Amino acid sequence: MAEFPKARDFFESSGVAVADHDLRRKLESASARHLDHFVQVKADFPAYDDERDAAHRIKTDAIAHLDELLIELTSKLEARGCKVFLAEDAAQARNYIVALAKARGARNVVKGKSMTTEEIDLNDALAQAGIDAVETDLGEYIVQLRGERPSHIITPAIHLSKEDIGQLFTDKFGIEYTAEPEKLTAEARSRLRAIFLAADFGVTGVNFAIAETGTLVVVENEGNGRLSSTMPETFVAVMGIEKVIPRLDDLSHFLEILARTATGQKLTTYTSFITGPRREGDLDGPAEMHVVILDNGRSAMLADPVLREALNCIRCGACLNVCPIYRRIGGHAYGSVYPGPIGSIVSPNLFGSAAGYLPFASTLCGACKDICPVKIDIPRILLHLRWKESIGKHPLKWPRAIERARRGARRFAKTARYPRTVRALGKIAAVVLKPFAHNGYLRRMPGPFGNWTKYRNFPRPRPHKRPPS
Amino acid sequence: MADLHKIIASVKDALGNSTQNNSHPADATAAMPVSPSAYRAELASAFARELEEVGGKFLGVLSPPEVTNRIVSLAGELGAKTVALGQGVAGDMDAIGEALERADFRLVRAVPVADTERAAMRARVADADLGIAEADFAIASTGTLAVVSTANRPSALTLLPPASLVIVQIDRVMPNLAAVLAAMGPAGVAANRLTLITGPSRTADIEKRIVLGVHGPKSLHVIVVWPHDD
Repeated sequence: MAEFPKARDFFESSGVAVADHDLRRKLESASARHLDHFVQVKADFPAYDDERDAAHRIKTDAIAHLDELLIELTSKLEARGCKVFLAEDAAQARNYIVALAKARGARNVVKGKSMTTEEIDLNDALAQAGIDAVETDLGEYIVQLRGERPSHIITPAIHLSKEDIGQLFTDKFGIEYTAEPEKLTAEARSRLRAIFLAADFGVTGVNFAIAETGTLVVVENEGNGRLSSTMPETFVAVMGIEKVIPRLDDLSHFLEILARTATGQKLTTYTSFITGPRREGDLDGPAEMHVVILDNGRSAMLADPVLREALNCIRCGACLNVCPIYRRIGGHAYGSVYPGPIGSIVSPNLFGSAAGYLPFASTLCGACKDICPVKIDIPRILLHLRWKESIGKHPLKWPRAIERARRGARRFAKTARYPRTVRALGKIAAVVLKPFAHNGYLRRMPGPFGNWTKYRNFPRPRPHKRPPS
Repeated sequence: MADLHKIIASVKDALGNSTQNNSHPADATAAMPVSPSAYRAELASAFARELEEVGGKFLGVLSPPEVTNRIVSLAGELGAKTVALGQGVAGDMDAIGEALERADFRLVRAVPVADTERAAMRARVADADLGIAEADFAIASTGTLAVVSTANRPSALTLLPPASLVIVQIDRVMPNLAAVLAAMGPAGVAANRLTLITGPSRTADIEKRIVLGVHGPKSLHVIVVWPHDD
């Protein structure tokens, strides 16, 4: 894993991102478009809330029986000729895949879109072994050409305009500049098609793994997932342990909501049911298939009764699109491959305490909880993580001051019952604080109040105007 | 008799308290008191509507001879020179293949391949201008085609050529995804490489604008076959 930025870096990077009006414009328009689509498909699908309940229930139940389901899945996959590798951490997973690629003499590695392979930093590990891995999802291809990480788990190049991408293609391929999405896509298609036809090693992620049938389900829109899993001789699917669902009958509940929340589609263009290596005479499919099932901190999340719920996540990315923080700073500022509200929960658990600042990067407004297709109570988990991050690590600096503050708060609660007193105090504060305010805000406050103004401005109290009765 | 009803009622009550309702959403068309053929036509038209919504082209509900003619004329409209096709599920792909050959289209027939022939066969399918396949099922509520891949009808047919034509029998148009998965059953899904196809290949990765034909076909044409036997 790339060095994780420290909390201070996050404040810097988010500050820079907030000031980037261009980025803000791109994020706002993409998020607004996503929400428009979502509202529309949701209105057309009355069963949405029932499916959401079912998905929540099935996933919660699956997570509670994860051990049995993983055993069942593994035995079914092995019976069909797949090689299953359970990786405890990121290093084990990438070492396994790199060793396999070396052993097969892989020259052309093609990758379907997979956040889990981003999580284990597979591309860097392959590059260090002298093997080039090409990202084939258009958005991933674009950010890889720029030497960047995806800034959104569904729309990796959300931070780029079509002009940015046009310029990138001109710089990299020497083609005539164009900012037309159709032409840029056609260019990428012809370049990647040649790579696919010569590919000898393919890697994709997994959206759902059905224990009952030993089937891996991959959803996508472009067809690169189909190509990555059927063209190369060796195919590796990488999945987190939480991707398993019990029965085939459960699947439709998830497919009915995943695309709706992720992209505002009823179903994604392609849903592949991958069952194992090809059989005698088959044109499609790999000669050998490996499934890497990754723990990397997930079982520790499972052990925590509050955090466990986060394993329900089906990575639809909707919480990013509604998050007031994400919409202002974008994905890169978070410093994690999993940005946004759900990223702030999983990152500290997958990447360690270096990402412990992320649960604080939230206003706890709850929009993520409202949109989450599997009903994860994200704000509650964020608060839990804040508590875990603070407890013991930062001993209370002024225990007596805090006790005094508590008493003060209780006194204020009592005072607040008398509107006239509150108004009088407000008037006094308005007069006293007026000389310190700029543009209606206090940028710095004295003493313990300074902790508030370190990262936010305090609105200047104004004399209360009695509403007309 | 009355006792039996009582017992069933109490069992039902007991189960009602403990079991969870994992039922799939009711399908509005399922309860319609109509003749089977009217029900099928209803599903086919819902399918057509949804298919067009995701950018697919619906060529109609046609009888087998009409299907063959329509495919030959489509190949002409697309300016295709080479057409790839495999075996059907219930439809007669041989008749379609012969008609295409008579109309002077070059044909790539997908047949089981040995390991040494695989790359060459893939290249030929990829170079074809149109790929023809028959879907095992279609889903009315989403405009989706469910296509199983075998040695005789590889999934490359719906993936590699720039245009894709899929036929599906009218009695295989199902109301929703749950119905298709139920029809295939766990054993059917476990034994096959199944792909659900909902419209042409597409992306929204550049400024969330939809562009068709990224890695898969740019155009998807569908014909529903009505054998007129009922």
